Amino acid sequence: MTLRRTLIAALGSLMLVASAVAAPATGEPVYFGVSGPLTGQNAQYGAQWKQGFDLALEEINATGGIQGRPLAYVFEDSQSDPRQSVAIAQKFVNDPRILIELGDFSSPASMAASPIYQRAGLTQLGFTNSHPDFTKTGDYIWSPSISQADSQPLLADLAVKTLGFKRVALLYLNTDWGRTSKDVFVKAAQERGAQVVVAEGYQPDEKDFRSTLVRVRDANPDGLVLISYYPDGALIAGQVRSVGLKQPIAAVGSVYSPKFIELGGAAVNGIHTNTSFFPEEPRAEVQNFVKRFRAKYGKEPDAFNAYAYDATVIAAHALRAGGHNRKAVRDALSQLKDVPSVIFGKARFDAQTRRVVGVKSVDLIVKDGKWTVSEGLKAAAAAR
Amino acid sequence: MSAFSWTSWFDYTVNGLIIGNIYALLAVGLALIFGVSHLINFAHGSVYTVGAYIGWAAITYGHTPLPLTLLLVVLGTGALGMLIERLGLRPLQGAARIAPLLATIGISFVLDILVQLVFSPDPRSLPTQLPDWRLQVGSGTIGALDLLIAGIGLASAALLFGFLRFTRLGWAVRATAQDRDAAQQMGVNVHAVNQAVFAIASALGGLSGLLVGMYYNNISPAMSFQATLKGVVATVVGGVGNVPGAIVGSLLLGLIESYGVALLGTPYRNLFAFALLLGILVWRPQGLFGRRHALPPEPLTGTFIAPSKPLRLPPALLAGLVAAAALLPLAGPSPYVLQTLTNAWLYATLALSLTLVAGTVGQISLGHAGLLAIGAYASALLVLEAKLPVGTAVLLAGGITALLGTLLVFPAFRLRGHYVSIATLGIGEIVALTILNWESLTRGPIGVSGIPPLALFGQEASSNEAFYEVALVAVVVLALLQWRLLRSHLGRTWRAVREDDVAARAYGVSPDRYKALAFGFGGFAAGVGGALTAHMYSYINHETFSSHISVLALTMVILGGLGNIAGAVVGAVALVSLPELFRVTAEYRMLIYGLALLLLIRYRPQGLLGTV
Repeated sequence: MTLRRTLIAALGSLMLVASAVAAPATGEPVYFGVSGPLTGQNAQYGAQWKQGFDLALEEINATGGIQGRPLAYVFEDSQSDPRQSVAIAQKFVNDPRILIELGDFSSPASMAASPIYQRAGLTQLGFTNSHPDFTKTGDYIWSPSISQADSQPLLADLAVKTLGFKRVALLYLNTDWGRTSKDVFVKAAQERGAQVVVAEGYQPDEKDFRSTLVRVRDANPDGLVLISYYPDGALIAGQVRSVGLKQPIAAVGSVYSPKFIELGGAAVNGIHTNTSFFPEEPRAEVQNFVKRFRAKYGKEPDAFNAYAYDATVIAAHALRAGGHNRKAVRDALSQLKDVPSVIFGKARFDAQTRRVVGVKSVDLIVKDGKWTVSEGLKAAAAAR
Repeated sequence: MSAFSWTSWFDYTVNGLIIGNIYALLAVGLALIFGVSHLINFAHGSVYTVGAYIGWAAITYGHTPLPLTLLLVVLGTGALGMLIERLGLRPLQGAARIAPLLATIGISFVLDILVQLVFSPDPRSLPTQLPDWRLQVGSGTIGALDLLIAGIGLASAALLFGFLRFTRLGWAVRATAQDRDAAQQMGVNVHAVNQAVFAIASALGGLSGLLVGMYYNNISPAMSFQATLKGVVATVVGGVGNVPGAIVGSLLLGLIESYGVALLGTPYRNLFAFALLLGILVWRPQGLFGRRHALPPEPLTGTFIAPSKPLRLPPALLAGLVAAAALLPLAGPSPYVLQTLTNAWLYATLALSLTLVAGTVGQISLGHAGLLAIGAYASALLVLEAKLPVGTAVLLAGGITALLGTLLVFPAFRLRGHYVSIATLGIGEIVALTILNWESLTRGPIGVSGIPPLALFGQEASSNEAFYEVALVAVVVLALLQWRLLRSHLGRTWRAVREDDVAARAYGVSPDRYKALAFGFGGFAAGVGGALTAHMYSYINHETFSSHISVLALTMVILGGLGNIAGAVVGAVALVSLPELFRVTAEYRMLIYGLALLLLIRYRPQGLLGTV
């Protein structure tokens, strides 16, 4: 234990410094509830969440927990199914130990549960819920997810300003997330003087994109933009060249994952993205997270690990400020300032929209099977 | 929309053939099993996934060369197929035809969850072991793997043909396919034949999993459902039980999908696939290559459902149970228990609908989630757009669902047995895809949010207790109505249509009209259930009522006893609460659920309360 504590100190962790009592937490734990998929179609994301939660807890509990008490969570498997997420919501609101809830993963599951959390006065922190209406259910519904209204213009900057696309072909995941992103992106691209010449929405379980790509080719674009997650993004990249498309590709930050390169192989070389999470970023929050993640799991973290980790840290801050009271925990969220965050740098909620304000990003490119910073491009574009 | 060009059409054609090629590997196995066992093997997609993972493990841990990898996959999945036949299906011999169908669903459940537990749910890459050269065809290219897949597809079809035509076991297989009992009397060991067929078909399924995994460099435990779905469509298009037909059907399916993308865009792809399915079923139910007399002898739908003596529950007991359920909120149960039971009541409305359609009239529907979705959207949009009060909207939604549901299923009325299941499966998918694509009405993938909670006489009824009581009242009223209908001449006529529709027609009954009445009443029940669900969830989109719900509903109905009203409610309560009860077992809960289901089918195929 001492060794680990020294190590953390040695890593220069600035995390949670505000309350770093530097003594491991003991006693009755303080709980948050998690509703998410551990089985079923989205099980992989639930597994990634768990890694993020556990890592954050280790750190929080080694440095004093919540006023000396350890932080712990109850993870209930919803399979991303609204029928189960509403039952879980009732379970949590009726469990006095639970002071704040995180999740669910998909919009149908999360938003079906929202009225229950709202009526019972338990904060729902939907940290992957970017649906524009998610927080509208009421003042107990909060989301530290990246708002598409903030992040898509950054992607448009990359595609139009930096890479110089004038005629954009857009492929998007035909879900609420993909569709919302697409609408914002199309508008942002037009404002920057580019035109979206073809926009094709595909189903999450789609695997064959060759015919879609012929459509893309026939629209004669000068660049492709992917609004995808990493598995489908890699699939598209793998098929792009097989229909004779040679245009450059830019993808939204959610493709950022070591898995993208594993699944895409040589085909993803040269793909640009701008991501809020990049392990090589020198910021202390990021480096602390990445080093400890590698040490604990022996692999590279990805964006979903980081979202879960950040959400835990935010919850911990709210719990410290709010004490053992659900309403006070909710009130604390709007007061939070400068919560160290892997994704946002310093996170702060907008009390009106109940979303985290602002987003930053790094431009990356896949080079020789590795994610590499491509900041040089921006300078080149500026010089043009 | 881009201008017409021959180059592009050539490319679309090539792409359609490439994907059709992949479907063919799946469809051949499905067709073989159907040909011999007259069974849609819903576990085929799971065997396909297992094949992909065996290949992955062999390459990753054993560094096996391609031929050895292929051999290991064939042996592994072949053995798995034999195991499925021996443990899962042979014991059901003599049980109603519906039992093995349900067993394959249960097996697929268990296999998928096992793969996920062993290999984690993360998608993995499965690098191809073939040289990376590509052949220019039109403006696109095809690779070595495309050719290998086509080669294996054709070779396996040729081998199968030779096997069926020139070997003793092959003759036995064909004899069994034609008439199982006669074959047995002639000394054919039909069990051995069945096992051989499952081994061959599963080996093919596993092989296709490996090749498709390599093709996309991506395997995951979630890949099985789509594979089964597309394989079944391709098989039906070609003609069930017809191996060359399965190949042609697959290529046609691939082409139609590709042209669909060309004409209207990517979101319409599956819509074209399922429209093709329905078109074929309506126009040529025996498939493109099936001969009319080759239709499996299924008109005696009575044999489809296990005959049994239903358990009679005394009316006093039922009344007592209803009263206890109604008074439960007064006892102050936890909201979690109340919510779980509310969910159970809502699913019971769906189960009532299905038990009428599937049990009483014998139309096994696999698309019932579509009815929920229609009801949910109708009520949500009536309240939000037309500003109707919630109570009125829920009832209207029931009416709309009754009407739309009956109209959609109408073309499938002349189908029988398994074909009804496949057609309704397609209709369910079409409903979901229409919701996704008809954006001006349904708001597409963004979904409908801010659906107000229930209101009674202008009073908002958003408390847990109010939802619970409303759902309970809906179930009780619908159940009583259905009970009354079944006791009238209507009930007798429905059962007559189920037992023998030729005989029913001979007595002057028009089966179509009575089927329409059943779907109408069933549509109303499911529509009300969907509408209430929408007002409880406050947000719905095209994913809320997925096709998994259709399968779940069928399981509920079979569990309770087909046609049995009390059984439907019992089934709904059991299958909604069991996964909740198994929560303590965390990741293993769906495995336990699947195994419990299999044991139930094995030991009580007529359901808990018996069929009516």
